[in-house]
Amino acid sequence: MAVENEHITADVVEVSEFVELAQRYNVQGVPKTVVNDTVEFVGALPEPRFVQQVLQAATKKEPEQGKER
Amino acid sequence: MALISPEDQETLKKLFEEKLTGDVSITYFTQHESPLIVPGRHECSYCKETREILEEVTDLSDKLHLTVKDFVADEKEAEQMGITRIPAYVMQGQNKGKVRFFGLPAGYEFSTLLQSIIDVSTGKTQLSQKTKEALNTLEQNLQVQVFVTPT
Repeated sequence: MAVENEHITADVVEVSEFVELAQRYNVQGVPKTVVNDTVEFVGALPEPRFVQQVLQAATKKEPEQGKER
Repeated sequence: MALISPEDQETLKKLFEEKLTGDVSITYFTQHESPLIVPGRHECSYCKETREILEEVTDLSDKLHLTVKDFVADEKEAEQMGITRIPAYVMQGQNKGKVRFFGLPAGYEFSTLLQSIIDVSTGKTQLSQKTKEALNTLEQNLQVQVFVTPT
């Protein structure tokens, strides 16, 4: 997505080297995707669902509190 | 000692010959490698191995260019690229948005790295038309962080 669109920054993070990030984002299973610190999901999603999740972050302003799938 | 086996190097060379179109610059932020242990300095566990892998990969094609930067000495550039932790490598080619990696490119991350190099080189992805149109509706910047492990 970052290749196609200038608004997207794609960061791939090898989390075992950055323990504080694993803790901050509560990474327990991989791959875990976090968008703008507001939307997060674990696992590989089919493309339309993935995009839907990413775009959800564009409409949110506050970080999600607690609940996640 | 090469980290990538000679057979794999040959395979990658052919892959790059076949798939790469435009040039790709990879800027790698690391720490100055010192034979001394400096008390109090945070030792970056995989910075050296990451540099070695990136050098081996970029040596396999004339279209790939690696620049190694020191996170401390080149901190202004690191700041400009939004790099706050290392090892970090940023790719630039035909991509419109930023593509960045953090950590040793081992296992899963290595194949992601290769595919990203190809996508950044061509500027094309396998995303559907629908996805591209949906992305075009974006008006704000989004940071998509994907956390992976080597296994």
